[in-house]
Amino acid sequence: MSHPIIVVLRKELLDGGRDRRALMSAFLFPFFAPLFVYFMLTAIINLQSDAQAVTIPIQGSQFAPDFVQWLEERDVTTEVFDGDAREVILEKDRELVVIIPEDYQQRMRDLKTIPIQVVSDGARTDSQPTVARIRRLIAEYNQELSSLRLIARGIDPEVSRTVIVQSIDVASKEQITARALNFIPLYVILAAFVCGMGLAVDSTAGERERKSLEALLINPVQRYQVVMGKWFASSFFATIGMTLTLVLCIAAMLQVPLHEIGLDFHIQAHQIVLMFLATMPLAFLATSMQLLLGIFAKSFKDAQSYIGILTILPVVPSLYSMFNPLPLQNWMFGVPMLGQHLLLVEVLGAKTVPIAGYLASGLSCFLLGMVFVLVTARLVERESIISG
Amino acid sequence: MITVTGLRKTFGDIVAVNNVSFAAENGRVTGLLGPNGAGKSTTLRVLYGLLKPDSGEASVDGIDIVENRIEAQQKIGVLPDSHGLYLRLTAREHIFYFARLQNIDGDRLEANADRLIRLLDMQGIADRRVEGFSQGERMKVCLARALIHDPPNVLLDEPTNGLDVMTTRKVREMIQELRKRDINVLFSSHLMHEVARLCDHIVIISAGQVVAHGTTEQISEAAGEDNLEEAFVKLVEKVVP
Repeated sequence: MSHPIIVVLRKELLDGGRDRRALMSAFLFPFFAPLFVYFMLTAIINLQSDAQAVTIPIQGSQFAPDFVQWLEERDVTTEVFDGDAREVILEKDRELVVIIPEDYQQRMRDLKTIPIQVVSDGARTDSQPTVARIRRLIAEYNQELSSLRLIARGIDPEVSRTVIVQSIDVASKEQITARALNFIPLYVILAAFVCGMGLAVDSTAGERERKSLEALLINPVQRYQVVMGKWFASSFFATIGMTLTLVLCIAAMLQVPLHEIGLDFHIQAHQIVLMFLATMPLAFLATSMQLLLGIFAKSFKDAQSYIGILTILPVVPSLYSMFNPLPLQNWMFGVPMLGQHLLLVEVLGAKTVPIAGYLASGLSCFLLGMVFVLVTARLVERESIISG
Repeated sequence: MITVTGLRKTFGDIVAVNNVSFAAENGRVTGLLGPNGAGKSTTLRVLYGLLKPDSGEASVDGIDIVENRIEAQQKIGVLPDSHGLYLRLTAREHIFYFARLQNIDGDRLEANADRLIRLLDMQGIADRRVEGFSQGERMKVCLARALIHDPPNVLLDEPTNGLDVMTTRKVREMIQELRKRDINVLFSSHLMHEVARLCDHIVIISAGQVVAHGTTEQISEAAGEDNLEEAFVKLVEKVVP
């Protein structure tokens, strides 16, 4: 003899497992999200490392061997270029060409301004980082030489520098990685809402729409038991979706060549387990809300339009904390969705969260989910649920 | 045994059932006869626990359906008004699902399921998904899942509605079979000939009220007509101006 909740759970899993269309739409997400993470991060890294690795073609490098050497001391690879600079750039053979004038040495001796040309195609966004870098280097070189010229005349170089910019980037490399990693919690939280939705809606609004609810409710079972069976079934789907998203996103992160920009990403098995524990309760909250909206709706389509709005909800705390990082406080773990986001960020950043943090976030989700389930059960008690 | 006393049910301003009383006994087929919208489905829905009456009492084998819904629901097998099925489940999976919700499992379930599948000629469709079933095949699934737990009381809401001759005969055979096993069968219909043919006891409902009850002969006699149809029309017209 099985408990009614288990009977309903088994039936919904069997039914939902055969719903190919719903499965497809639910489980496309866990495969799509990691691909997005991978391609976006790889693209960012390529842009950055391209600027570092590129070889700078210099026309007339023989006129300024000291400048070329100065560049090479700053990790810039140079090549001797001899040809039509405009042509090679328009034909996209080179990103840019630096042209040193023939009278470089003469102007240097006469203490005149030396025009160094940087030829590039302003319409090409991919060459912008390299152009910006070479401009920065030339400006720096100018600064150094000017100082030497002033010192030669007995003037303190400080005189010519009224105001200077000092950029201080306090973000450590790990923090930059953590920011990149913010996408993973976002996707995992979204997965909770996407992957269980099909089953949650089908077993509520769908059951009403195909008029199978009346026969179901004639059975000698408490209404809350029916709803809980459906709740556990859709939460099971949501949990699988979240776990898949989490594991695949991490696998994608490991494939991203972070080392090319000098960053490191390590993850250990226990961190993955902690992240699974941190996010699983959210599956129960997400599906409980979907069941409630589903039982309100009279048809599948009706339900989907309500639930579409619901899917924006989980992104709010994640996006908010991405753009407005708040100082972490313990109460935040108890806020459903925000708590899960914070836990994931902390665990990914290899920080330790006290067990109370996991308990608070898990319990708040589960209890709130329970409230929604009981409200749903009350709605199922209404007489109008069968009459339309 | 089902007893209904002074049942009244309203939806807003509409009085769907007004002071309905009757009894349906074991080993007897009781027909709830009435025109469309007379209150037959509402009466049955109160009996199988989906609607709460405003006043009056309804009990199944002495168990009050409002006070002890779950206990009463264990004593009934129901073919409800709506015949919705789960399209991705097979006929047998439907039967098993409802059996387990009725707390029947194991050998007894297997044996009952096989017996019903044979009885309803469902051998060819038992393990097919119900998507694409004809109306008759769907009705058989609904009947089988209603009877899987050997209920002592069977409630059927318009059981032959929209069925072909072959399936209609199967349903009638089923009803006869249940009566032989001393089961209480209560079914609603608006089809005169069906009620006349199958029922031992007829309750005529019109505009939410019982206008006559008894055997075919008793009803005809009370209305002063020769046949049930004339009697029915006469009785119904009395309450519906």
